[in-house]
Amino acid sequence: MTVPKEKPEKWARAGAPLSWSRKKPSWGTEEERRARANDREYNEKFQYASNCIKTSKYNILTFLPVNLFEQFQEVANTYFLFLLILQLIPQISSLSWFTTIVPLVLVLTITAVKDATDDYFRHKSDNQVNNRQSQVLINGILQQEQWMNVCVGDIIKLENNQFVAADLLLLSSSEPHGLCYIETAELDGETNMKVRQAIPVTSELGDISKLAKFDGEVICEPPNNKLDKFSGTLYWKENKFSLSNQNMLLRGCVLRNTEWCFGLVIFAGPDTKLMQNSGRTKFKRTSIDRLMNTLVLWIFGFLVCMGVILAIGNAIWEYKVGTRFQVYLPWDEAVDSAFFSGFLSFWSYIIILNTVVPISLYVSVEVIRLGHSYFINWDKKMFCMKKRTPAEARTTTLNEELGQVEYIFSDKTGTLTQNIMVFNKCSINGHSYGDVFDVLGHKAELGERPEPVDFSFNPLADKKFLFWDPTLLEAVKMGDPHTHEFFRLLSLCHTVMSEEKNEGELYYKAQSPDEGALVTAARNFGFVFRFRTPKTITVHEMGTAITYQLLAILDFNNIRKRMSVIVRNPEGKIRLYCKGADTILLDRLHHSTQELLNATTDHLNEYAGEGLRTLVLAYKDLDEEYYEEWADRRLQASLAQDSREDRLASVYEEIESDLMLLGATAIEDKLQQGVPETIALLTLANIKIWVLTGDKQETAVNIGYSCKMLTDDMSEVFVVTGHTVLEVREELRKAREKMMDLSRTIGNGFTFHEKLTSSKLTSVLEAVAGEYALVINGHSLAHALEADMELEFLETACACKAVICCRVTPLQKAQVVELVKKYKKAVTLAIGDGANDVSMIKTAHIGVGISGQEGIQAVLASDYSFSQFKFLQRLLLVHGRWSYLRMCKFLCYFFYKNFAFTMVHFWFGFFCGFSAQTVYDQYFITLYNIVYTSLPVLAMGVFDQDVPEQRSMEYPKLYEPGQLNLLFNKREFFICIAQGIYTSVLMFFIPYGVFAEATRDDGTQLADYQSFAVTVATSLVIVVSVQIGLDTGYWTAINHFFIWGSLAVYFAILFAMHSKGLFGLFPNQFRFVGNAQNTLAQPTVWLTIVLTTVVCIMPVVAFRFLKLNLKPDLSDTVRYTQLVRKKQKAQHRCMRRVGRTGSRRSGYAFSHQEGFGELIMSGKNMRLSSLALSSFTTRSSSSWIESLRRKKSDSASSPSGGADKPLKG
Amino acid sequence: MDRTSQGCPSRWRDNTALKQQHLPAHRLQLSATKVLSGFFVTGTFCLGVGIILILSAKSTKEIEINYTNICANCAELRENTINFDKECTCSIPFYLPETMQGNVYMYYKLHSFYQNLYRYSLSRSNSQLMGQDIMDVGNCDLFGKTPNGTPICPCGAIANSMFNDTIILSYNLNSSIHIKVPMLSSGITWWTDKFIKYQNPNSNHLPSAFAGTAKPPFWPRAVYELDEEDVENNGLVNDDFIVWMRTAAFPTFKKLYRRLRRIQYFTEGLPAGNYSFNITYNFPVTRYHGEKSVVLSTLTWSGGRSLFLGLAYTVTGTVTWLASFVMMAIYLARKERMTVFPQQ
Repeated sequence: MTVPKEKPEKWARAGAPLSWSRKKPSWGTEEERRARANDREYNEKFQYASNCIKTSKYNILTFLPVNLFEQFQEVANTYFLFLLILQLIPQISSLSWFTTIVPLVLVLTITAVKDATDDYFRHKSDNQVNNRQSQVLINGILQQEQWMNVCVGDIIKLENNQFVAADLLLLSSSEPHGLCYIETAELDGETNMKVRQAIPVTSELGDISKLAKFDGEVICEPPNNKLDKFSGTLYWKENKFSLSNQNMLLRGCVLRNTEWCFGLVIFAGPDTKLMQNSGRTKFKRTSIDRLMNTLVLWIFGFLVCMGVILAIGNAIWEYKVGTRFQVYLPWDEAVDSAFFSGFLSFWSYIIILNTVVPISLYVSVEVIRLGHSYFINWDKKMFCMKKRTPAEARTTTLNEELGQVEYIFSDKTGTLTQNIMVFNKCSINGHSYGDVFDVLGHKAELGERPEPVDFSFNPLADKKFLFWDPTLLEAVKMGDPHTHEFFRLLSLCHTVMSEEKNEGELYYKAQSPDEGALVTAARNFGFVFRFRTPKTITVHEMGTAITYQLLAILDFNNIRKRMSVIVRNPEGKIRLYCKGADTILLDRLHHSTQELLNATTDHLNEYAGEGLRTLVLAYKDLDEEYYEEWADRRLQASLAQDSREDRLASVYEEIESDLMLLGATAIEDKLQQGVPETIALLTLANIKIWVLTGDKQETAVNIGYSCKMLTDDMSEVFVVTGHTVLEVREELRKAREKMMDLSRTIGNGFTFHEKLTSSKLTSVLEAVAGEYALVINGHSLAHALEADMELEFLETACACKAVICCRVTPLQKAQVVELVKKYKKAVTLAIGDGANDVSMIKTAHIGVGISGQEGIQAVLASDYSFSQFKFLQRLLLVHGRWSYLRMCKFLCYFFYKNFAFTMVHFWFGFFCGFSAQTVYDQYFITLYNIVYTSLPVLAMGVFDQDVPEQRSMEYPKLYEPGQLNLLFNKREFFICIAQGIYTSVLMFFIPYGVFAEATRDDGTQLADYQSFAVTVATSLVIVVSVQIGLDTGYWTAINHFFIWGSLAVYFAILFAMHSKGLFGLFPNQFRFVGNAQNTLAQPTVWLTIVLTTVVCIMPVVAFRFLKLNLKPDLSDTVRYTQLVRKKQKAQHRCMRRVGRTGSRRSGYAFSHQEGFGELIMSGKNMRLSSLALSSFTTRSSSSWIESLRRKKSDSASSPSGGADKPLKG
Repeated sequence: MDRTSQGCPSRWRDNTALKQQHLPAHRLQLSATKVLSGFFVTGTFCLGVGIILILSAKSTKEIEINYTNICANCAELRENTINFDKECTCSIPFYLPETMQGNVYMYYKLHSFYQNLYRYSLSRSNSQLMGQDIMDVGNCDLFGKTPNGTPICPCGAIANSMFNDTIILSYNLNSSIHIKVPMLSSGITWWTDKFIKYQNPNSNHLPSAFAGTAKPPFWPRAVYELDEEDVENNGLVNDDFIVWMRTAAFPTFKKLYRRLRRIQYFTEGLPAGNYSFNITYNFPVTRYHGEKSVVLSTLTWSGGRSLFLGLAYTVTGTVTWLASFVMMAIYLARKERMTVFPQQ
């Protein structure tokens, strides 16, 4: 794809928020990089970053100060510190200092321990990477060095299957012409191999002595995060050589199929493109977190208001009553006026009432989230047996957000698919093979398959290849000419390279997995592609080696969508074998094949319906003269100076006509297990799934169909492929209009106004009827994401049920996520497995990494990781939903209990001259939040379940409250607060009413302060315990233990605190001696407590009961349904893969790039030993090198050249 | 399952009900039967308790006389601190129309006296009051030491402001015979207060035990001279003192002063007839616009004549009943329309 040249700054801009804040060299921003080989002294001048990587935050010495500093950046912690300081001022201290410091220290410690553990693991992983060994050329000798000691300018030697330690300039390799193969899975997620080549002058530096003398200097661009772009110059021996990305080996790649290579370190450590791309770990907050912080601020405002009211009250009281009461209680020395007294009492009340912002809130939230994270880690149903990987919650702070996800952005390769291509079915001469039948002759479903076909007759067969239909092998063995020709084609028509380490141990180097799958299939069915030279292909056909003369490769490209080979068989017959996309190839068939064509078309439809990628195979016999003549014309065309490509294409087109149809293949791009079911379920849960992939459009659409994102029931699938801004805008507009039109016709005659503003459009589009899907290309997306079009794009996309973005770069993935985040105010989740998904994983609210694949970059950047896409449904619908539910219930209850607890002081203020007298004993205040009421609510927050887990899968709609934020929002918050205040009113005024008049049963005074305190405290503890009992929907033994235990502990501590022993030891601290036993022995007190409880709880029960009857929500209904048919066995929903018929999609599933065809024909990549040197012509070799150069210079000249090869998803 | 465990032994320990969130549990369900029957039961209970409480409260007798204005002359005298040593008595006659049966308790009641002020309620020294260290005036603040530095015992604002009116009830058989109604000053405190919280310092001779301390500034006598009639009732264990020291929760409060000693005429209680309170007026209340009363009351199991609890229960019971009828009506009306998911 091409990106307009005027756009480079856009890429840079979008990259900025993700870019790594790098330690700049001391002399300022690096403008260019100079590195001289084998000259450490020279390179040290520039103070380039070393190859040591540091992702950890603290060391032993800095931990305490840095961590404390970070923690006190939290507003809440600072607030409590401030309170603590206030309490140390005697004039305003109305509570002992320990009421605040105990919880504060507890909170700080817990957080510090957590941070320390996290950092420890970061240290460990840093060390592991930094201590990897590599061979460095120092003073002419190869030495083992740790990665972290590698410097810019060093020459290092890499061996096969080693990780590249830093960004290297490839100097030479074991392969001819300085070629080497790399796998960039870590970096961009692509698993197919790529070729890198050293520049010719250095490719001769094969041995160490030459390399040691190499003193070239590289001047190149400063470190950046563009994976596919590099420009620099090598100055050596007074010559300049230009360098491009084609010469670079980037950190994170793995060397494959190359014995060794040497490279010059250009960027090291944090400067490498890998690290530049990894971005800064952003601290993610959940929406509940943000809401909580807002609410805490509100509460703080409320607290100040209460403080002001009480302070005014105090001033008035002191002025009217206090001045006269001075006989008995003179004012404090410092206090000289009622006004000042009021001012002091403001602060005193701030201290007393601070419990409305409970310090234990934050730590409890952390504990609950930690618990939920452990549940995720422990979940057996998210444990992948095959890979032995459990699900892992890597961050413990986002759990409840899992219950609110609205948008899922998914990578394709490795996430939805396994990136394994399997030869699944084929149609040969009108006969379809590959369906599996069970004994009764029915099509067998997965899981009840018979034994796979036995390929033991063939010693060269690939053991891993499985095929289930024995009839095909029988046909081959019977010598059916069609099947033979079919597999012959597969074994000849490809650009795969073979490697035979030992006799019979064949390894295929395929540029794309599909091609590998086809050649492997042919290999197993007895047509073993053995090896090739530039001019021959040797195939073992049913045991006999036959060498075909390779006359031409008509290579694949994106327009042709097909490839052909022209071979001469030993008998001398020339034949053209062609395979390609059905849409292209079926038009080029000879008319005599009409009947066969119909049968094959039926099969193709069938395969496509199953989501398989299809290819049509055909051949054509050529006579000698015609071929000679054609070859001549081809030569002419290839030598042409202008429009060489076009001319070649037309020459190719000419010969690829009137083909004889052989059949078709169907390759399964193996989906991960359970992907369609998961997607269907998530869609039912109203989650929108967008697939962002680097793959090309056809593949992506194919996968879209096979995983049921796209269905034929959809009203329309819009495809946006415009190359210019105008085209894209037009296409988007058309798509919207179409949706509007259709919904207008559907919408019962309801007509929309013609002229709609874009904002109106949004609301209309939200309610669009019918299902649509949008497929957009990377280059169109680049335009669509521009500031003036992004809203338009978003509106269109959001109106669609499914969105597929193909050929997108990692940055674009992040941009799309950012776009949705910015405008939709919805929770986004990004899931992916490769390094190319890292940016999107980090951008989304929640990032999920698929573990167990080759790369671990995605997992490292993610918040959650597991090994199968299908676990996502459990993560969201079960864990996420529960987490959200629990967190909401927890928060509601927490605010409720603290308001009920604290507001009593407020009412009491009116009866105690606003003197900041507390209602309760100070120990009760200290312990209320951390002992008496903490565990039951924690147990609820950790264990509660509203409906059993199976139900949340059965009724995905249960997920919706989370998306709509129904369970905890400002309204719910006010309800909780109101309930808390209501409770506090009753909690104060009922005992007040009773105590004001009553006496004890022995005639003594009842209404003493201490008895009142004990009564209110006891009824408070009982009321909130009953309330938590009501809120707990799932009473496990632990809940019982905690709730009853809390009550027991309350009474135990109460009696202990009021005991004679403690009073004897500390008479001034434990002033309540004997109070519990005297007060709680009074029937009046118990009657008061019971009455308070009844009056506080009954309205809640009544309200809930009425809601259940009048306005039940879905979970209520589900529960009710459960109740109704308790004894009936739950049936599991069984989703069958329904075959899709109808529109056919072709998947010429080859890599987007041109194949290795040119490389093969030039013989460049062949080992000299295996080459027929005689047939090696200078012309063809130079043409290849030239074309490589040309490409190189193209990409170097265009700043957006990088976008030519987007990263695969 | 077995194969699983063998396949991955390290995972076996995770396979507990707790970790898989399959703990056996009771799912709380607000079913109609439970809720409605709960409401009916609660309503019945509350109504019952309410009626019993009201009835028992009604059975008590109580008489309250506010003597702030009756003894206005004494109040005026006390307004001026110069007259602190002048005695002022005041007699309040009243008629008791019905006999007060059983135990009769005499209370003094103060209005707008803020014993619950934060600084007031802290102004005491428990270690001094328990006789541990009578020199410890820790929190007593302004009332800790005399101007010349002698520690005050008992120190603090609470002790200093102790109620010190003497109230004597006389039964006027006729215009000439006035019988002093026998009253007990013992048994008006909590056992824990009398024997744990308040202790005299260990000494045989009380005055010497308090040597080196001064009396609170407002007190006419030292702490060991509080009760002239009963020697045992002196010092920090004086009943009136302990009662005062148990600070009230609200600005209006009554504290038990004396209880009837049921002998002679008074074995049945206080017979109907003419009585008078003879009050030695010491405690000034008008200065802070307060008032004081004297209360005579009989008791039942639920305490004195307080209707609040009974009424509250009755109202709650009634409302709960009404609510349960409304809820039942709604439930029955909605029952048919309750959604049940079709069997899948």
